[in-house]
Amino acid sequence: MERFDDERLRELMAAYQAGAIEAFDGLYVALAPALLSYLAAIARDRGRAQDLLQETFLQIHRSRRAYRAELPVRPWAFTIARHVWLMEVRARGRRPAPDREIPDLPVPPEVEGLADRERLRRALDLLLPDRREALLLHHVWGFSFAEIGRLLGVRADAAKLRSSRAMADLRRTLAETGTRG
Amino acid sequence: MRPPPDLRRAIADDLRPVAPLAPPFRRVVWLMPIALLMLVAASAIFGARRDGPALGLLLTWTASVAQMILGVALTAAALRESVPGTTLSRRALGAAFGGALFAAVTITWLTWRASPTVVRPGFAAYVWSVCMAGTMVSALPLLGAAGWLAARAFPVRPRIAGALYGIGAGLVADAGWRLFCHFSDPVHVLGSHTLGILLVGILGSLLAVARRSALPR
Repeated sequence: MERFDDERLRELMAAYQAGAIEAFDGLYVALAPALLSYLAAIARDRGRAQDLLQETFLQIHRSRRAYRAELPVRPWAFTIARHVWLMEVRARGRRPAPDREIPDLPVPPEVEGLADRERLRRALDLLLPDRREALLLHHVWGFSFAEIGRLLGVRADAAKLRSSRAMADLRRTLAETGTRG
Repeated sequence: MRPPPDLRRAIADDLRPVAPLAPPFRRVVWLMPIALLMLVAASAIFGARRDGPALGLLLTWTASVAQMILGVALTAAALRESVPGTTLSRRALGAAFGGALFAAVTITWLTWRASPTVVRPGFAAYVWSVCMAGTMVSALPLLGAAGWLAARAFPVRPRIAGALYGIGAGLVADAGWRLFCHFSDPVHVLGSHTLGILLVGILGSLLAVARRSALPR
């Protein structure tokens, strides 16, 4: 996954606000892979995540005025993506999400060596959704707990607690399935 | 990963330069003239409360100015909440809503203790409706202006942002209205003034959600 430093993203946002379409291209290249992974994880459907990704960039476009240069770009974009997903869930009339397993996701480097990819994916799938989201945001997409707290509307220490509990649950599940398997 | 051609075309067709919004604390300053007008309007139009001398400066103007500042602070919090990535934590929201309720109850209690005045029997319903309607109607200018400023950002939790600026507008309106209404009976104040503040909060929340729903998806 290509990583862009925040300074570069801020420059791109400033150029986008000034009306440069090339800046939009740059932002898409920088943000789309992580946003798609994130949307796939919370929507549990890669196909739906593709549609949500396009909607997220349309909403980013409509709300570009709300971005200020002192704000980090990635938390701002992820917050909009999460909002787009929540709006889509509501628009579907609060029907429960399809009972699908989460698609193949980037795996936290800390647990990569503990099992093969399929077992890791299944173990991630068993985590409570709010814990899994905090875990992935921190360990996969590199957000600080303060940023995760603002994204999820909880305190930073609550975000940290969710992530650490998810990591403990994940290790326990992997240990149990490893013993059984 | 390149942008799909349809998306890129839609963006390019609509792309024009935009000026970034100012930080919330600076945008809320634009609302201060409205807040100050709301603070003085009721007593200037209908006359100051009759028990003013018994209450003194502290429980009239000082308490009202403090309540107005709290209302403006809640509005600033709503403007911050409206920017993606800077949403407030549950604890901060609890402190904001709890602080508003605490201030309303404390000022009511202190005022009642310093000058206990009750509504004459037979007039309770009339006075109740006048004070609640007065609080709510005088909150509308600030509610409208704050709602417009919040909508210029991108409130991802419009219900919460609307409740924050709604209660903020209600507090500012009541800060002015209490300088005119001389009934300090907590049953009257909490049942009409404070209820009015809460209803403005609900109205703000509903309007913010309606405005959000009306935007293109």
